[in-house]
Order: sequence, then structure tokens, then C-alpha cells
Amino acid sequence: MLELKNLKFTSENIDPAGKPGIRTIINDINFTFEKGKFYAITGPNGSGKTTLAKLIMGINEVTSGSILFEGRDITKFSITDRAHAGIAYSFQNPARFKGTTCRDLISIAAKTDNEEKITRLISRVGICPLDFLDKPVDSKLSGGEIKKIELATTIALDPKIAIYDEPDTGIDLWTIEPMVKLLKREQCEHGTTTIVVSHNKVFLEAADLLLIINEGKIIYTGDLNGAMTLLNDFSICNYADIFEGEYNARCYR
Amino acid sequence: MLDAIDKELLKTVAELEGIPKGAYNIRKNGKLLGREVSANINIETNPEGNGIIINIKPGTKGESVHIPVIVSQAGLNDVVYNTFIIGDDSDVTIVAGCGIHCGTSKEQGHEGIHEFRIGKNAKMKYVEKHVALGDGKGKRSLNPTTKVFLEQGAHAEMELSQIGGVDAADRLNEAELGPESSINITERVLTDGNQKAISRNQIFLKGNDCKANMVSRSVIKGDSIQDFYATLDARAKCFGHIECDAIIMDNGRNETVPSLKAGHSDAELTHEASIGKIANDQLMKLMSLGLTYEEAVNRIIQGFLK
Repeated sequence: MLELKNLKFTSENIDPAGKPGIRTIINDINFTFEKGKFYAITGPNGSGKTTLAKLIMGINEVTSGSILFEGRDITKFSITDRAHAGIAYSFQNPARFKGTTCRDLISIAAKTDNEEKITRLISRVGICPLDFLDKPVDSKLSGGEIKKIELATTIALDPKIAIYDEPDTGIDLWTIEPMVKLLKREQCEHGTTTIVVSHNKVFLEAADLLLIINEGKIIYTGDLNGAMTLLNDFSICNYADIFEGEYNARCYR
Repeated sequence: MLDAIDKELLKTVAELEGIPKGAYNIRKNGKLLGREVSANINIETNPEGNGIIINIKPGTKGESVHIPVIVSQAGLNDVVYNTFIIGDDSDVTIVAGCGIHCGTSKEQGHEGIHEFRIGKNAKMKYVEKHVALGDGKGKRSLNPTTKVFLEQGAHAEMELSQIGGVDAADRLNEAELGPESSINITERVLTDGNQKAISRNQIFLKGNDCKANMVSRSVIKGDSIQDFYATLDARAKCFGHIECDAIIMDNGRNETVPSLKAGHSDAELTHEASIGKIANDQLMKLMSLGLTYEEAVNRIIQGFLK
């Protein structure tokens, strides 16, 4: 359904000695996401998980390689074109607007002004529609509230592929399980191909297939049990790696 | 009689489809076009003959008064002095606004000087819209002044907007707050082309436990310029906040100067100000919902000025 071919993403970088260079963030990834499956992507901080998700949505521009969606090459598609094609993206740090309300965002996503439909979508993510319908999506919302509204806008699109980048950030612990159930229900009832970028075990357990990314490459695909040894290895300190080698790296642990 | 242009202007500035119900005073090209009073709201021409006095009886609740102004005569610069006396314990809405229709190359303008005296524990909502329409090349200017005096426990909610077509605007807002009174002012201004708008605001917090909140939202397109100055001058135990945001597009220019003066040790004054382009994460979010770049920009501005 969604095929990544030799996908590469690099960015300009200045090394610790002050020399400009190129940093490879996604390094020749090949993978096919199948229709209707639930994928979890995990890996250490700075491994390229979010970058990969953003490449799929068109937020970052592919350096080389291609992305095929339902057989069509969408590598050069804009974010808008990808949204129209059926790809949705739930941001890790959702944008905050002055004046734009929850109703505005969901009505754009659901392409309707029907209040009943909008309130139903809001209530599905576990917040009270009456409290949030006409609230601006601004800095007054808590981190958890804005993440739930973000989730509601993604679901409202009724996408073919939904990408959720760290959906549990700022979410209270007792809401995470219902969130997983909601995403699973979307997968089962609408056949939504679901990709969740997360460190949270509940998402990794819920996935049909787990992908582990490290240093811009997929280093594991399979179930969570098979990944445990690898994941335990990542729990050791990788401070120096994250900060580009050993120059100036100081780990105080 | 209201012609098609008058009706369009009335609809734009006062959301009126025709002559309003209840008390009203419609001024067209410097002259009285129509007036209606109610049992609780009296409107009369002032002794100088250059404006009106609106007197609202104490205890009047849930009533509104419309006082739109239409300027469609080429070359006219209409100046009007209006006084609003709002009785104690009343709760009223005043809808003002000026619509200019310019069809020639001659300059047209309006200067509305409004003074509000809001009685004890009275609530007033004031909605003012300014717009200029028409294909004429004449300069359209609107220079409003509002002076608000709030007695003990009074509350004023003021929504001031300039929604397009005005070439030059120089606004002055002043407020004096008595004990336990409060004021919320929201100003929204959109400029484009070579338009220029200046807004000067002075709020004097004189009574104990009074509160003032001033919000300014500016969108500056084309080569236009907007300047915003606001001062909270605290002379008692009080709370005041200024929030001013400007979105710059194209070659727009902006100067925003919030100023806080504490003349009392228990004054709490804060401000936040920002000037910048539309945030990239906002654009990306709306585009990920299927809007094009241009549609996303429009939606963000609509929300910002709403």
C-alpha cells in the first residue's frame, strides 16, 4: 500500500569542530506498509523515527529514493496532495492557533459544519465536546488536551493511512489505554493503516508489526517479544551518540 | 430612504438588513437619516448640533441601540461627537460603525468621537466596525476616538474592528476605571496595499480592584503599515494585561509598543507582544487537513481576526 524505496534524507550539519558537512538522518530505507495493518515505530532518541514519519507526510522533502502510495509515486506530492490522497498526520507537538477553534479544525478535517458530527468526533477522544467545541486551540490548552484535539482532527479525516507521532505525549496515564483502543477500532472498522511512532510499550504491544529504527535504518521488524533484547540494549546510555560522537559529550550519570 | 449602497454598508458595519428594531440613530452624509427611541433609551441631538446624546435609563437590561454612520458623498469629511450615558445597573449593547463608500477620486472620511459614562454596576457591550467600499480612488480615512469612564463595579466589553478598505486610520482609545470596574478591549485591524493604521490606547486604572485587558490583533498585508501603542497606567491596587499580536505578510511593517506604568505598589501589570509571519507549524497542520497553502493562510487570518 505504501512503499518506501531507497529512502534517504540528509541535512546540513556543522560538526563539533565547526566544519560544515552533511548528516544522514534516514539512510536507504526500504519497507512496504500493508493495507489495514497497525505498525509501531520505535528506536532511540535521534534515530530518525519522526523524520521518517514526516517524509511520508511530505513535511520533510526526500533527498533521494521514492515513496509509492497505492501504486502512485507521491515523492513530489505536497502535504495537501498527500492529505487528499488519504494520508493523515498527527503531530507530536500540535500547532497552537490564536482564534481558530476546535470546531474550526475538525470541520476542516471532516469537511462538514454539522455540529452533531463534530461533537461526536470530539467525544470519541475522551473530552467533553461542550467544553471544547468553541475553545480556541491556543496556548491556554494543556498538553494533553491539545493532543486529544490533534487526534480528533486525524480521525475526522477518515484517512487510508494515519501516522501518529508520539500520540501519548502529555496524555494522562489512564487515557492511554482508551487511546490505543480507539486507534485499534479505527484500524478494524475503517481498515485504516496505522503507523504509531512511540516509546510506549502499550502501542508496541498493540502493533501487528514493530519496526525499530537506529541511525536512520530499520534494524528490526517483528513482534515485541523478539525485540526485547534489542530494546534493552538501547536502554543503556547513548548520550554521546545522540550528540554526534564524543566531542564535548559529558554524561553525568 | 436607504439605497442599495446604504444597505450594503449597514449590513457590513452593523449586520443590519434594513432599519433596526428598537432604538437607533442612522447618520448619512453628516445628516440624520432616521431615529427611533425606546421607553428606556432616549436619543437626542446635542446642544452644539454636532452629535447625539444617548441616555440609557438605570436598570435597563437586554436592550440594544444601533448608531451606524454612512458616508457616501464625495469629498465629505464627517465629524460627530456622541455621548453615551449608561444608567446604573443596566446591561446594554451598543452597535456603532462607519461605512464609507467611495466612488470618486475625492477624499472621504469620518471622525467619530464617542464618550461613554458607564454608571455603577452597569454593563455595556460596544461593537464598532469600520469599513470602506467602492471603486473610487479617493482616500478613505476613519479616525475614531473612544473615551470610557467606568464607575464603581461597571464593566465594558469593547470590540473594535477595521475590516478593510480604509486608507488611513488614527484611533485613540482612552479609559478611566473606577473601583472594582473592568474593561475588555479587543481591537482587530486588517490593512493592505498602502494603507496605514495607528492605534493609541491609554487606560488609567484609578480605582481599587479594577481590571483592564487589552487585546490587539493586526494583520498587515501588501505595503501597509500598522502601529500600535498601549499604556496601562495603574494608580491603585489593580490588574492589567496587554496582549498584542501582529501577523506580517508581504512587505507589511509594524511597530508595537506596549507600556506599563505602576504608580501603586499593589498594581499587577503584564503584557505579551509578538510580531511575525504566520507560524509554519500552523500552515503545515492545516495543509495536512487538506487545505492548500493559500486556503491555510486565509483560515489562519480569519481565525486570528474573528
